[in-house]
Amino acid sequence: MRSLFIVPLLATLAAAQAPAKVKAGLVQSIPVDGSIPDDPVMAAYLAPYAAKIKASFGQPLVKAPLGLFRGRPGEENLLGYWVADTMRAAAAKAIGMPVAFAFTNSGGLRANLRRGQLKVEDIYEVMPFENEVVIIELTGAEVIQVVREGLLHRGGEPCSGVLVKVSGTPENPILTVTWADGKPIDPTALVHVATTDYLYGGGDSIPTLRKGRNLVRTGLTLRQVMLDRCAALDKAGKELLPPAPGRYQVPPEFREAIREKKLSL
Amino acid sequence: MERRDFIATLGAAAAASAVPLRAASAAPASGRITLLHTNDTHSHIEPFGPGNGTLTGRGGVARRATLIKQLRAATGASLLLDAGDTFQGTPYFNLYKGRLDYRLMRMMGYDATTLGNHDFDNGVDMLVAAMESMEAMNHPNAPFAFINCNFDFKGAPHLAKRMRPYMVREFPGVKVGITGVGVAFAGLVSPQNHVGVGWRDPYESLRPVVKHLRETEKVDLVVVLSHLGYQMDGAYDDLRLPAHVPGVDAVIGGHTHTFLDVPTRLPQALGETLVFQVGFGGVNLGRMDFAVTRGEVRASGGTSMPVES
Ligand SMILES: [Zn+2]
Repeated sequence: MRSLFIVPLLATLAAAQAPAKVKAGLVQSIPVDGSIPDDPVMAAYLAPYAAKIKASFGQPLVKAPLGLFRGRPGEENLLGYWVADTMRAAAAKAIGMPVAFAFTNSGGLRANLRRGQLKVEDIYEVMPFENEVVIIELTGAEVIQVVREGLLHRGGEPCSGVLVKVSGTPENPILTVTWADGKPIDPTALVHVATTDYLYGGGDSIPTLRKGRNLVRTGLTLRQVMLDRCAALDKAGKELLPPAPGRYQVPPEFREAIREKKLSL
Repeated sequence: MERRDFIATLGAAAAASAVPLRAASAAPASGRITLLHTNDTHSHIEPFGPGNGTLTGRGGVARRATLIKQLRAATGASLLLDAGDTFQGTPYFNLYKGRLDYRLMRMMGYDATTLGNHDFDNGVDMLVAAMESMEAMNHPNAPFAFINCNFDFKGAPHLAKRMRPYMVREFPGVKVGITGVGVAFAGLVSPQNHVGVGWRDPYESLRPVVKHLRETEKVDLVVVLSHLGYQMDGAYDDLRLPAHVPGVDAVIGGHTHTFLDVPTRLPQALGETLVFQVGFGGVNLGRMDFAVTRGEVRASGGTSMPVES
């Protein structure tokens, strides 16, 4: 054994320096689908966990006959509008004062709400994150700036309380933001704004939200206020319906320019 | 040639005991390895339910386990790897906090994973708790490794002791080095969820690790588990990685949930890099087979070993 170790070592050195020749052979993405049977051990291990999930998350919540959808590129994010409306109402209730504006990020809404009877799990799929609803104070000018940052970052993020219009030409765009009733926004007035701790903390690149004053943590997750809203609708014998479109009016040529990062607002 | 190969085989104590002496004289200076991989499984433990378009009915951990078993039985030397974002996406994560996800990965026989941004969604302590839960389970499979070379874990000691910058695994005729890189936290992970963990330039972090793997560890194959994303606006993504970090044979990518049927092949200073990513949610399992031909065989003009399916 010993000679095997010592003798070839020096002789090996030169050859070992030559790098290995690597050749890729079969490469593929293999679908994991119904043609593959469940592994029985894994299935048995999972069963009690799945049962617990089903018991908690399979509870019926509210009927949504039209569903609520995030919209394809170019369409409005009506699910996002509903989330922002729900957030704004919950925030106003939490502080007992009007909340003028609510802003959330489309990237945080991870699924659509399908048509039909919604279950608790559907809301979890839309909002799996533990983000908390927070309330801050911003000036009117800062509210407009938040809208602008959302437009440039993602083509317009879900919000509540304002109407947004982009007009002119992609070379000379005009951004018009008013309150939802069409009244102008006083740039110097301080208003309450609802958002999430994630966005306030700098998540998803909306820097002006970080300027928020007098932070109030509601202690409510965004998901919880959505669940509460659905439960309240159902209790009142109502259905969950999408909000009306029209909050963002951004013609296609501007959306194109935003995608290409050519628009300066 | 045989003797050199024998010495190389002895490099890892575990491998030496696993490889019978007969292999020392019989094995050529070549070998083959199959990499099986997932990314962004996002707590999709059950198959996708109705209303999920083309994904409906696909995925599911119990099926993935079957597929992995079948492939590993058929291929011989293999590694099962993941590119991060195991957490977040279904109620399973909300209820079981990632612990179940990691335990299932151990049961399936994963060898290593890296950390994605969503693996920090419940903060560092909860991430560590999920790792501990996986390590503590009673199972014949060894706990899998957590690999990253561009996060600075100094301020998070409990996480630091569970992370390693790279890992080397040796098989008959093939020595594999695995390292990993993660995406920047800014704008993706709230600061309170990555307390004590810093981010560094992934290319700069990778270069010395790849050099060490190649020159000191003398691996034949370098694999990067990347949660940088396939193609991104910033300076860092899997498509740009090979030009900045030569010597990587395979990038197992994640983060952008990119569905590729086959890897993208990119030339680099020391050869070619295969960049792969297989969607998300466990709806696909990636497979990359590599044949490795070493030293003298190559010098004498030998051809590389064919890789059959
Ligand atoms: Zn990710």
